[in-house]
Amino acid sequence: MENFEGIAPSVFTIVKIAVWIFLLLYILFAGVVIKQIRVMTETLEVGFEKQIKVLGIVHFLLAVIVFLLSLVVL
Amino acid sequence: MPDVFISEEKTKSSKLKSSKTKPFFVEPKESERHRLPGHTHNPLAAFCYYPDFVRFVNADPEEKVVLLLRRHPITNLQWLVTAFLMLLAPSFFPIILPYELLPPGFQIILPLVWYLITFAFILEKFLSWFFHVNIVTDERIIEVDFFNLVSREITDANIDQIQDVTPRVVGSIRTFFNFGDVVIQTAASIPLITFEAVPNPDKVARILRESRIEEEQEKLEGRVR
Repeated sequence: MENFEGIAPSVFTIVKIAVWIFLLLYILFAGVVIKQIRVMTETLEVGFEKQIKVLGIVHFLLAVIVFLLSLVVL
Repeated sequence: MPDVFISEEKTKSSKLKSSKTKPFFVEPKESERHRLPGHTHNPLAAFCYYPDFVRFVNADPEEKVVLLLRRHPITNLQWLVTAFLMLLAPSFFPIILPYELLPPGFQIILPLVWYLITFAFILEKFLSWFFHVNIVTDERIIEVDFFNLVSREITDANIDQIQDVTPRVVGSIRTFFNFGDVVIQTAASIPLITFEAVPNPDKVARILRESRIEEEQEKLEGRVR
């Protein structure tokens, strides 16, 4: 039992680090999405670009918020 | 000698002939565009005849957009259902996973990460639908295709290079909602351009045919840009 308790925290530490790495990569992905939206809106303009850009930025901000929250909570 | 009797059939056929010689494709005036069937101000529309505002990369300054097409909105149903199930999934986490055994921090972060992934999924699917457009201008046809968030392809062919236009509606759902593929054979370097799952494929084919006739007339009259 003692051994299990000793192992469990280290497993969660690994998972914790994995989640942080995943969220960092996700932030990078969200940045790529913003860049891609810019490329898309430069390729085609139909009068809905502002809303789509806002969606991309909201997505990026949410990724950052979840990452910061994970630093506090985990 | 003057004709004393002209049969009705003859007069009818001559009327038909005269209607055929009328120009098919007359560009509507700015004020008339708003009353055209298929004209809409909705930027999310899948079929827009003479859209008010469309700009695309490498467009000629004098080029006029005749038609803007996207895949029919019903084609989004599959991913919308998936997204809906993904949104509901965290409610079932406690049943599927040994949720109580996880530390409280993980119990908060896990659903949030899941919702982030769901958001990305919805955004990616919406963007690939929104930016995958087919444009018909008075000079050429253009297909803008974003396969995913990191790759795009733009194909175009001049109107006068179009050799054959085939509207194809296959299946009960496509027949019911009146959408299908428009397969365009061209003499350009890319021999086949397909407008996929676009609404009113017959109308699209007709507009393309009329554009070709107009282009041919312009050539004959020496009005080619």
